[in-house]
Amino acid sequence: MNCTRRNFLIGGSTTLFLSGYFPKISFASMQKKNLIIISLRGGMDGLTAVPVIGDKRLKKLRKKLILEDVLNLNSDFGLHPKLEIFHKLWQTNQAAFVHATNIPYTGRSHFDGQNLMETGAHIPYKEKTGWLGRGLLASNIIGKGLAISLPMPLLLRGVPQNNNFFPSPDFVETNLIDQIYNEFNGEHNELIKSTLDTIRQRPLSMQIATDSDDRKKLALEAAKQLKDQSGPRVAVFDLDGFDTHAAQGGVDGAHADELEEVNKIVTILHENLGQAFDNTLILTLTEFGRTIKQNGGYGTEHGYGSAILMAGGLLKKSQIYTDWPGLKKKELFEGRDLNSTIDSRAIYNSAMSVCFNQDPEFLRKEVFWGDELPDLSQELFKI
Amino acid sequence: MSLKFYRRVAFGLSLNEKPDKDPLNWALNQLDTIPNLLWPGIIPTEKELRKKYGEWVYGDREVLRKKFKNDKHAYRKAKDELRIKTGERYFELNEHAIRHYQTKYSKQPVFERFWLFWGNHFAISEKDFLAEFSTGPYQREIIRPNMVKTFEEMVQSVTTSWCMIHHLDNSESFGPNSKKGIEWRETINENHARELLELHTVSPNAGYTQDDVIQLAYIMTGWAHKWDRKNLETGDIWFDQEMHQKGDKIVLGVKYKNDAKRELTKVIHDLATHPICIKFVSTKLCRHFITDEPTEDMINPVIEAWNKSNGSLIEIHKAVITQAYKHNESTHKFHPPEIWLMQLSRMFDLNIPLSSEKMNYSFSSKPNRRQRQLSWILREIGHSPYRAKQPNGWSDFEADWVSPELLLRRFWFSSVELPILVKSGNRSHDFILACLKNNFEDHENMASLIENFRFGTLDYDLGQKYGVICNLPGVLKA
Repeated sequence: MNCTRRNFLIGGSTTLFLSGYFPKISFASMQKKNLIIISLRGGMDGLTAVPVIGDKRLKKLRKKLILEDVLNLNSDFGLHPKLEIFHKLWQTNQAAFVHATNIPYTGRSHFDGQNLMETGAHIPYKEKTGWLGRGLLASNIIGKGLAISLPMPLLLRGVPQNNNFFPSPDFVETNLIDQIYNEFNGEHNELIKSTLDTIRQRPLSMQIATDSDDRKKLALEAAKQLKDQSGPRVAVFDLDGFDTHAAQGGVDGAHADELEEVNKIVTILHENLGQAFDNTLILTLTEFGRTIKQNGGYGTEHGYGSAILMAGGLLKKSQIYTDWPGLKKKELFEGRDLNSTIDSRAIYNSAMSVCFNQDPEFLRKEVFWGDELPDLSQELFKI
Repeated sequence: MSLKFYRRVAFGLSLNEKPDKDPLNWALNQLDTIPNLLWPGIIPTEKELRKKYGEWVYGDREVLRKKFKNDKHAYRKAKDELRIKTGERYFELNEHAIRHYQTKYSKQPVFERFWLFWGNHFAISEKDFLAEFSTGPYQREIIRPNMVKTFEEMVQSVTTSWCMIHHLDNSESFGPNSKKGIEWRETINENHARELLELHTVSPNAGYTQDDVIQLAYIMTGWAHKWDRKNLETGDIWFDQEMHQKGDKIVLGVKYKNDAKRELTKVIHDLATHPICIKFVSTKLCRHFITDEPTEDMINPVIEAWNKSNGSLIEIHKAVITQAYKHNESTHKFHPPEIWLMQLSRMFDLNIPLSSEKMNYSFSSKPNRRQRQLSWILREIGHSPYRAKQPNGWSDFEADWVSPELLLRRFWFSSVELPILVKSGNRSHDFILACLKNNFEDHENMASLIENFRFGTLDYDLGQKYGVICNLPGVLKA
């Protein structure tokens, strides 16, 4: 077994230091680039999604959560069988994974953790805007965010005029809005007023009633909007149910059901974005991973390090990017969780810099308060 | 005195009610006693519904899954039949009716607003079949009776309720050095301990550590449902000494001596009377009733009342109302969709919930469309009360409720669905004007916005009128 720390770290950072940032002005960079974030609420288990098959300790600690039929990635890592689309895209350099990564949060609370994964901050509830919203604002990309959920996720807040798509069962006459629009006066009504502005500017296809329970239809419409050269540049999907304290299961358990949902969304996006998939990055986001050891209910507890699932034509190559910390007791975080050796915000910052054609150094300062986040664009993405 | 106080702390005024000469006293006088539940239809007990829950999970898990393990379609059909027989599709609808009937007709609407608040503070989020069978009766039987007691007593009841224990997995938490923990090689499940600290009492502001969570989880081990082959996880809550972690425990620096079930009572006492808990919950109360970002001068009087009365919820509620009254003019509070709907129902006498006769259920077919209507509306406007996504319940921040789709859903409801809910005698323009006059100082301006439709009485015309009225800033906020 050779899964020891640093074996997998790919690409040095010295070259990066010297290279600086010179955005290429080419036809490719004129094309609209899409950044899609799928929030996996409840704590996605990186070791279920991308199990480390090269380490026997995992099987030993998870006797009731064994995965059979793991899809092969390389000699050390496999892929959960429900994540088929990622496996398919892996063959064409359009899927990759970052492992043993998380936001710098070790508190193990869903609510604090989800707040921080969206704000990108260090103190829960302190920031009222999301890193993605701030990134869009800093890049002067206004009104190009699309959330596939009924409430506006915190992640996208901070930039005005975002849209969301989760249609009501019947058509709504927007002339009603015109009749009351001028009644919204004063500072305390600004949020509603700017949201009404967004509604008034919606394309017709987003005004049609549909069945919002149907994730397929929502993902289809998202793909349609993202494909449009003048449409949104950012989309946020929201999935929950990853908090599997009990009956987590292996191939068909509760965690597998949730991974299957991720797989469905990415499959639909891939099929329907067409050429635009080449100019797209899809990244997952979660608040923490889960304990290595199974608990009393054959589930797992809140942990620390997790993984980021990535897909899209803007990936550099298929790879598992990790600074693997190992699973020996002393290598675990507080003796129980997979450690996080990469601040996941570095990946998000780099992804934004690629998709928004923006200097990562500038974004790091504007969005993440100048926190130490290495630029990983050259290692992970096509720039 | 602004009429918005009646929506700020209650549900507005129905046409039968007139503004009181002394609105503050009107509100304060509603908090000393627990009003009866007014719903004339069936109000099943928590125990009865837990039995139904048991029948449903047993029937599905132990009978149908085994019987139809090779026939997916037959399994699905049998399962649907079981849903009907056990009321799996029905009881939540009935609970919504009980709840909305109460907020519409209660003579103590201010009390009812606090009822909604506490049910959400000690939220049961969407998990297993809790929303279908248990969350409603939990709100009625655990939250409600405690609202005239102390906060500490409320926390004690909630923490040992079947619903919360199931919700946060405490029955799966074993002391690793307990008899069963050793025998079965089981260990703790931290979920309930963590939420008791984080959400229910002291909040992360108390600076507790992972060790504190583990130690509290140890204290809580043993509080579990009684399990047997027939009732599965739906047995009563008891203290199982054989699951309980032995030895002393230390939480937030306080030592709790090995004392079996009494450890929990002691630690809850300390948590529920902790100054950080008092500040955290007082802030939440002010946020709910006054403004998203309450100031110290709003919160401090509530803390004072709390300390003076040793946590009497009656006195705490009165202090909150006094502050809401004091800051009524200078603040604006956005209402989440369910409260907005309750207010529309009370102010405009809408036909929800369905009458108790029509809510009667035969357990022989699916609930009909009318019976599902209220729950469907709640879901579509984004606020199905017993289905919060996370144990922290529904947000009290405006920003969480203002998105294009969530606002569009309100336009949709008020212009498309609401006209169907207007009673036949209330379709005239004058009726709307009377309701506006009863509830809004600027009713003349509001009336002028719907003047164009004054002669229309078709559903379409009503939709245009209500579509405008219900979404005005002064109706979305109070």
